[in-house]
Amino acid sequence: MSKQDRVIIKKLPTGVPGLDEIVGGGLPEYSFNIIAGAPGSGKTTLAHQFVFANATPERPALYFTVLGESALKMLRYQQQYTFFDPAKLPGSIRFVNLSEVVLEKDLGAVLEEITKEVEKANPAVVVVDSFRTMVRKPQSDMDLQSFIQRLALFLASWQATTFLIGEYAEDELRDNPIFTVADGLLWLRQTAERNSIVRKLQIMKMRGQDSVPGLHTFRITDAGIQAFSRTFGLTARVRSPSSARRLSFGVAELDKMLDGGVREGDSVLVAGSSGTGKSVLATQFIAEGISQGEPGIVAVFEERPQAYAERATSLGLDLETPQKDGRLSILYLRPLDLSVDETMQSILDAVQKIGAKRLVIDSLAGFEMALSPGFRADFRESLYRMIFALTGIGVTILSTVEVDESFIEFPFSTYSISFLCDDIVRLRYVSIDGQLRKIMVVIKMRGGNHGKDIREYEITSKGVVILGKRLVNYQGLITGIPVHSQPPDPIDGVTNE
Amino acid sequence: MMTSPEMRDLARCLLTYEASVGKVYGSKELATLRVYEKLRQSLIGTTGVAGFHAIASRALALARDEAPGLNAAQVAVDGSLVALSESGAQVDMDKNQTGEYQPNEGGVILIARLFELLLAFLGETLTLRLLQDAWPAGALGKDIAEKG
Repeated sequence: MSKQDRVIIKKLPTGVPGLDEIVGGGLPEYSFNIIAGAPGSGKTTLAHQFVFANATPERPALYFTVLGESALKMLRYQQQYTFFDPAKLPGSIRFVNLSEVVLEKDLGAVLEEITKEVEKANPAVVVVDSFRTMVRKPQSDMDLQSFIQRLALFLASWQATTFLIGEYAEDELRDNPIFTVADGLLWLRQTAERNSIVRKLQIMKMRGQDSVPGLHTFRITDAGIQAFSRTFGLTARVRSPSSARRLSFGVAELDKMLDGGVREGDSVLVAGSSGTGKSVLATQFIAEGISQGEPGIVAVFEERPQAYAERATSLGLDLETPQKDGRLSILYLRPLDLSVDETMQSILDAVQKIGAKRLVIDSLAGFEMALSPGFRADFRESLYRMIFALTGIGVTILSTVEVDESFIEFPFSTYSISFLCDDIVRLRYVSIDGQLRKIMVVIKMRGGNHGKDIREYEITSKGVVILGKRLVNYQGLITGIPVHSQPPDPIDGVTNE
Repeated sequence: MMTSPEMRDLARCLLTYEASVGKVYGSKELATLRVYEKLRQSLIGTTGVAGFHAIASRALALARDEAPGLNAAQVAVDGSLVALSESGAQVDMDKNQTGEYQPNEGGVILIARLFELLLAFLGETLTLRLLQDAWPAGALGKDIAEKG
């Protein structure tokens, strides 16, 4: 069968930001779906968002409430969400209570009542909330499987996209016929991890569509549910071909050490202990980009954007003007209960909004601290996904990371994330002739022939300034406690080649 | 707590309207019952019988505090209002000096209490939509009609 001969399944918007991407581009029209999860996990809110996004006066939504969901209370609470448009009631969205028929009659009567309402309203969307309570009591005249199959068949035939909402436990997956009949199964989870609540959703089944596997973080705000795809919505984006273009750091000597600058689309790690100038270097990197016409994003976690911009001003770098004219955005992401994915979504949104070419994350330690404790375990994996996604669309990322200074080893990062980075620039203190000086070395440059020199630098009113040429006549510089390989110059103590 | 003047005005409007409609059609049904029944029919599909029964019972209980004439009235299992006629004119419509029927306070208070509960649960927008679906604009009074 050729592609043209196949039926085209229309995909309906879920009304949940981020969820369309996760389910594979939208929910299949006329599909029969289950939204499962524990109480309070957001099932009803998700269904409402879908209903409000798709119901029209011509093809309304029928929302059947059953035991457990008082329509008055549900309407009272749901109208607090910004997606709730009262103008859609009752013309486009109609609530029908089935409690009496469920309580007093059997499943055959329930099916009859649903059939009657559907035939009358010709709905595009049907929701049964909660389906679990509908089928909980012992059945006599019609077994559960038959009821579900007839219901699914009827609603699909009447061209309705259906959601059955239920409070199910995962161990029920195997034996419950509802999960066999369903075309789509969305599972919402809510768990407490230390002092934070972590919400995640999973598409356990989505017939005919390539949904994004795995657990996706979601948040419920006054706008309803927002989902954060593990792929950050970039799966559909074409990866930019590798660029040979070099981006200047804004420090000419460092560019030389990097064989002409950072390759566009690389992920660069600047590692060093406190006070070595990581943030200064990052600021120079972003400011240089702006001067070259490359919009930038700075995600800061340890100081406020105003302080960050003021510090740049003290280095002679103007970050105020580009912020005003939309070439730079400084994001302050400090709440302590963020998930990695929503933090990254904020960064991605900002990147896409201004068409950023450079991104600074200052610092990874601050980033990790801003996350809720439960998400810290996923930090490395999430970082990998974000870096892969962003560099794939040509954004060059510079992350700073603080490393503990050691005089017996030379660590690049406490996160074991060096494999995520194409390039690593290491800054460190070194004790030379009674002074605590700073040295810089390019540790790694993927696919490039970087300089091998260890260079001394200072932080001046112009930012990071690399001094002279490489340090020679010292052995063990990277230990921080070098020894002279020849007597020092009596004046400045450093012998430059 | 007394019913609010706005809710009483709205209830008066609807009772007056239903009394005049009833008169045209020669109905002997109390205007209060006509208004109540329209509300019940509008709401019951959404709330279910039990849901409407609960809210109506609450409204009646609140209204009795202000209008003892409602003591005989009851909310039946199906949510309908029974035994209101035993209170008769005390709660429904009275003729004024010029011979026109005017809503009596018992009926006004009961309907106003129902509106207040709907407002508390559903908010103004949804409550107005409900009323506008059940009654023509002219029955709701100028202020309400304009809000819609």
